[in-house]
Amino acid sequence: MTTNTILPATPTRRALWRRVRLGAVAKYAWVTWAYLFLLAPMAVVLGSSLDGTTAYSGVVFPPQELTLKWYRQIPASHYEALGLSLALGLSVALGACLLGIPAALGVVRGRLPGKSLFLAFFRAPMQIPAVVSGVAFLQLYYVFGDATGLFLNATFVGLYLGHLFVATPYVIGTVVSVLQRFNLRLEEAALSMGASRWSTFRRVTLPTIMPGVHAGALYAFMVSFSDVPIAMFLTAPGFLTYPVELFFGIETDFNPSVLASASLVILFSLGLLLLVQRVIGLDAVVHSRG
Amino acid sequence: MIGLVPAGAGPMNTRWDYLLIPSFVISFLLLAASQITFLQGSLYTDLGLGQLATSASINNYATLLNDEFYVNALLLTIRVSAIATACTLLMGFPVAYVIARMRSRWAMLMLAGVVVSSFVTIVIKVYGIIVIFSADGGLNKLMMALGLLDRPYTIIGNQTGVVIGLMQFTMGFGVLLLYSVVRTIPVSLEEAATVHGASRIRVFWRVILPLSLPGVIVGALMIFNMCMGAFTSAALLGGGRVFTLPVLIQRAVIIKTEYGMGAALAAVLLVSVIFINLISVFLLKRLRAARLVIA
Repeated sequence: MTTNTILPATPTRRALWRRVRLGAVAKYAWVTWAYLFLLAPMAVVLGSSLDGTTAYSGVVFPPQELTLKWYRQIPASHYEALGLSLALGLSVALGACLLGIPAALGVVRGRLPGKSLFLAFFRAPMQIPAVVSGVAFLQLYYVFGDATGLFLNATFVGLYLGHLFVATPYVIGTVVSVLQRFNLRLEEAALSMGASRWSTFRRVTLPTIMPGVHAGALYAFMVSFSDVPIAMFLTAPGFLTYPVELFFGIETDFNPSVLASASLVILFSLGLLLLVQRVIGLDAVVHSRG
Repeated sequence: MIGLVPAGAGPMNTRWDYLLIPSFVISFLLLAASQITFLQGSLYTDLGLGQLATSASINNYATLLNDEFYVNALLLTIRVSAIATACTLLMGFPVAYVIARMRSRWAMLMLAGVVVSSFVTIVIKVYGIIVIFSADGGLNKLMMALGLLDRPYTIIGNQTGVVIGLMQFTMGFGVLLLYSVVRTIPVSLEEAATVHGASRIRVFWRVILPLSLPGVIVGALMIFNMCMGAFTSAALLGGGRVFTLPVLIQRAVIIKTEYGMGAALAAVLLVSVIFINLISVFLLKRLRAARLVIA
C-alpha cells in the first residue's frame, strides 16, 4: 500500500465524501420510511377493498382475487352520510369565508388597538380541544332548547354552527398571512388613478388575497369533512356525517363494503387534490398557511 | 408580523374597522355561549338517565379529582399526546426539510402525498392501520414468514397503537406546517456555513435548528392540541383499554348520558391544554430573552 505524498488530502476528502453520501442515504431512507408510514394505511384500504376472498371476519392484503363486488354492496346509509358531509363541508367553507375574510381585513387593516389580541381571539377555537367544542355545543343546544323550545342538536344548523366555529380560524389565518405580504402601493396607485374604493377593492384587493381565500376555504372544507370529535356529539342515528358513520362501522360491523366506500372517499380526495393543483396550484395552498 | 402594515398608513383605512364587527360578534357569541354553557353545565351533578341536579355544586370536580382513575386518564392523555407530537416532529421534520429544499418536480408530488394524507379522515386511516397491524394482518404474517416474530404481536389495544393512530392523524398537517417553517430559512445561510467549513451536522445544529425552533415550537403546540382533543385513535385503536380523557368524555356523554360529568371532564381537559400552552409560550419567551433562539 503506497501513501500518496503529493496529495495528502485525498484520503480524508474521500472519507468526507463517504460520510456525506452516507448522510444523504440515511436522510432519504428516513423520508422513504416516513412516506411509507404516511401512505400505507390508505394504500391498504384501497387494495383490500378490491379483494374477492375477503371474509367478514378478517381483511386480506395484498388482494388475492380482484373484484369490485364490495363496491356494489356499499350500504345506502354511507351514501346518505357522504351527501350530508359534502353539503356540510361546502356550506361551512362558504360560511367560514364570509366570516373570515372581513375579519382578516379588519384585523390587518383596521386602526384598532390590540390587534394581536383580536387575532388571538379569532384563533381561540383552534386551541380548544375538538372534543371539548363538541361537548360545549351539545350543552349549548340543550340549554338553548330548554329556553326556547328549539332543539338544534342533530340538526343541520346545529352541526353547521359547530363546524363553522372550528373552521373559520383557518380562513382568517390564511387571509391574514396573505394580507401581511400585500403591497399597499397597488391600492394607492388604483385610488390615485381615480378608481373608486369599491372598485379598488374588487379589482385590486380581492384578486390579491384570493390565494389565501382558496387555501382557507379548502382547509375549512377538509376540517368539516374529516371531523369526528365534534360531529360525534351533534349527530344522531339516521343523521350521521360520513366519518361518524365509519366510526360506528368499525365498532359494530367491520365489513369489506366499508373499505370500498372508504376507498371512494380516498379517490375523491385525490380528485380534489388534482382539481386544486389545476385551478389554484398546490404551492399557493401550502404557502398561504396561516 | 402585523406590524408589517403600519396602522392607519394604508388607503381606505377608516372602513376596515367596521368590517370586523359582524365577524367578531358572531365568533364571540359562538365562543362565549358554548364555553359558558358547558362550564356551567359541569357544575350540575348527574342523577342518572340524563337528569341533572337542580342546584350547582363542585361535586363533579371533587369526584374526578379524588378518583385516581380520572387523574391517571389525564396523565395518560398528556403522555400519549406528547409522545405522538415528538414522534410526528421527528419523523416529519426531515420530510418537510427535503421537500422544502427540493428543486425538482418531485417536490410537488411529495407535497401532494402529504396533502392527501391530511385530507383523508383519520377513521379511514384507522381502518388501514387495523388491516396492517392486526394479529392476522399483513405485517404480522410478513414478520413471521421472515422469522422475526414467533407469535403475532399487535398494537391494537395498547398505547403504541394509540400513538401510531395519533401520528397518522397529525403527520400530514405537521409536515405542511414544518414545510412552511423551513421555507422561511434562506438556503444562502446554510450555504455560507458550508462554505466556511461547517459539516452537515454542524449546519443542522447551528443554523437550521436555531432558526426553525420558534416555528417548530408553535407547530408542536398545534399538533399537541390536536392530539389532546382527538378520540378516534384512542377509541378505535385502544381497543377499549386505553382510556384517554377524550374517550372518557365521549363515553360519559354519549353512552352514559352523564352530561355534568362529561362537561366537568371537558373542563379539566380544556384547562390542562390552556395551562400547557401558556407554559410553553412562557418558556419560548425565556428562550428568546436568553437569545437561544432568533426572532
